[in-house]
Amino acid sequence: MLQHLYDKPQPPSRAVVVGAGGFVGSSIVRQLRAAGVEVAPLSRKEVDLLAQGAARRLGSLLQSDDAVVFVSAIAPAKTPAELIANLRMAEVASEAFAAVPPAHLLYISSDAVYADEANPVTERSPLAPSTLHGVMHAAREAIFRGTCKGPLAFLRPTLIYGADDPHSGYGPNRFRRQAAKGEPISIFGEGEEKRDHVVVEDVARLAVRILMHRSSGALNAVTGVATSFHDIALLVARQFAPRARVASVARPGPRPHLLHRFFDITECHKAFPDFRFETLVQGIARVHAEATGAATISRPA
Amino acid sequence: MTRIGFAGMTHLGLVSGVSASEKGFGVVCYDPDAARIAAIGGRRLPVSEPRLEELAAKNAPRLRFTANAADLAACDVIYVAPDVPTDDHGGSDLGPIDRLLAAVFDAARPDATVVLLSQVPPGFTRSKQREGRTLYYQVETLVFGRAVQRALEPERYIVGCADPSRPLPPAYRAFLGAHSCPVLPMRYESAELAKISINMFLVASVSTANTLAGVCEKIGADWAEIVPSLRLDRRIGQHAYLNAGLGISGGNLERDLGTVMALSREHGADAELVRAFLESSEHRKDWPLRKLHATVLRETDSPTIAVLGLAYKEDTHSTKNSPAIALIRALGPWPIRVYDPVVKADAVPHPRATFGVSALDAVRGVDALALMTPWTEFRALRCGELARAMRGRTVIDPYRLLDANAAADAGLRVHSLGAA
Repeated sequence: MLQHLYDKPQPPSRAVVVGAGGFVGSSIVRQLRAAGVEVAPLSRKEVDLLAQGAARRLGSLLQSDDAVVFVSAIAPAKTPAELIANLRMAEVASEAFAAVPPAHLLYISSDAVYADEANPVTERSPLAPSTLHGVMHAAREAIFRGTCKGPLAFLRPTLIYGADDPHSGYGPNRFRRQAAKGEPISIFGEGEEKRDHVVVEDVARLAVRILMHRSSGALNAVTGVATSFHDIALLVARQFAPRARVASVARPGPRPHLLHRFFDITECHKAFPDFRFETLVQGIARVHAEATGAATISRPA
Repeated sequence: MTRIGFAGMTHLGLVSGVSASEKGFGVVCYDPDAARIAAIGGRRLPVSEPRLEELAAKNAPRLRFTANAADLAACDVIYVAPDVPTDDHGGSDLGPIDRLLAAVFDAARPDATVVLLSQVPPGFTRSKQREGRTLYYQVETLVFGRAVQRALEPERYIVGCADPSRPLPPAYRAFLGAHSCPVLPMRYESAELAKISINMFLVASVSTANTLAGVCEKIGADWAEIVPSLRLDRRIGQHAYLNAGLGISGGNLERDLGTVMALSREHGADAELVRAFLESSEHRKDWPLRKLHATVLRETDSPTIAVLGLAYKEDTHSTKNSPAIALIRALGPWPIRVYDPVVKADAVPHPRATFGVSALDAVRGVDALALMTPWTEFRALRCGELARAMRGRTVIDPYRLLDANAAADAGLRVHSLGAA
């Protein structure tokens, strides 16, 4: 669970976001700026973590009282080469942090670090990843745990959606794109698997809170509500006029044994009692409005 | 007449001493803390237990409270019975026992029997044997809120001995015999583990009940309907711990789980089950917090919550690992109103808590009410009066203290353990 160094929120003197060009990183930059925090966004343009001399280059961009958000990753890591590349990026970052230790480090990890059969998942669930992607995040956490001597936090989001998501993974983003192209929304089988989906802005808002409290420990970025892909498809379909069609397609292989995944978000209630997640109904409607350029639907504070 | 001594006048020693006097024995109650002895002598007892004050007053002529260890020389049997402090992780501080046992060994007559009554980990008693002294370990089965009754009417005595084949000393036998229950002598280590075994079985029952109650909440079943069918099963029994609750608290059960975990680490025994018990307990303890977030806290911007009950269970002043305290800690941003019939306001870890003078006073104007301790007086609360006093309609009633029909008639939305 998270331990706050500051009970009352206190902005860092500067927040460096490593991986600021990505889907999650750019959202964190926006939320930090909205909170009045000075931000130094670093994308691959400023520092390529796989290039020669990357550690020295990253170190030269850091100041000793920086809070650092490390969100840079080749994701999802599906191949051994991608796994190794991601670990190399963490190694480079560690070298830079050893030269210029951050006042606070927040690593954006993933719920893939947990065992598939953990239900409900909490921050106390054992780390037992079953995929290379999960292994990558668990190993990166271990790398930073071993080298970072100051306050260190891990934020572990579950499936993220949002208007700018470059991925088209199975879920709200793919469903919206299918419907926008006039195609039926395709769900595997009856789409009965229940999963938790969190909107990217909520992940970013949690990241900001962690920085403001200079928190240590782990927190899952999850809403605590698991919804079936069938129901998600219907929610997306309703955003379109006429309503998009939802079609069942044969599963590409045997149904995964991880049929449902539920989270217990008690630790989030304790760490940030007044934090409210955007519901899937609100989030899908807002993301659709933003993606289609319709009038902005304001999200809850 | 056999005279019994008790060293350590905290919960266990005080209740045991007063109960021994009720059985007609002359009793010397010793504690090195003179202020504590003076308070007890002045009838200001440091613990709250049903009948304790009454029996202390009734048997005053047979009870002697002293801060002078030498007074124990009058005793034939001396129990060493300080409460063992535990930390938040179930670790025991055995220092107070060590010190008291040394004092008793120094003060006791050579023919006196010394009995360790405080709970100790396996191996402790044998390590404390002293040349020329007769030392026993006796399992205590103190239950907060029922401590006097259990001391007067024990189910059995479990006695750890250096050599269980040898008869117990006559004076000790006479004292135990006054309680008309089976006496089970066994080696020290068995007795020490017997105590832990009893508690582990209780934890298993509690954890199973809580797990199944949680399933009931998800599938539309009602745990209260299932419990009677289990009680009629002889293998489970009428007195099994089957009521759904908010995890394990009070400190004693947690200590035993911690001891088994430590033994597992030291000797390589499997203790995965214990880990599961602890995890389950943590999960259930936060049930009221999850319910409040799922109802009032996600909908109301500046809610006021009333928390009735601070003790970890009824009829005790103890708040050790209390679910109420855990809940209050997690309600930091919002004002809360609190009431407990016994626990004082200074136990409330919240900057914006105000203490009501009664249960009804505490719920005035609140958006939600959490009934966190099953005190008898809360069962008498009238739902109509609660509804009129409260601003909101949400009631978290884990233990089903309120009448469900009356609550529905009053328009209260009640959430209880084990029910959808």
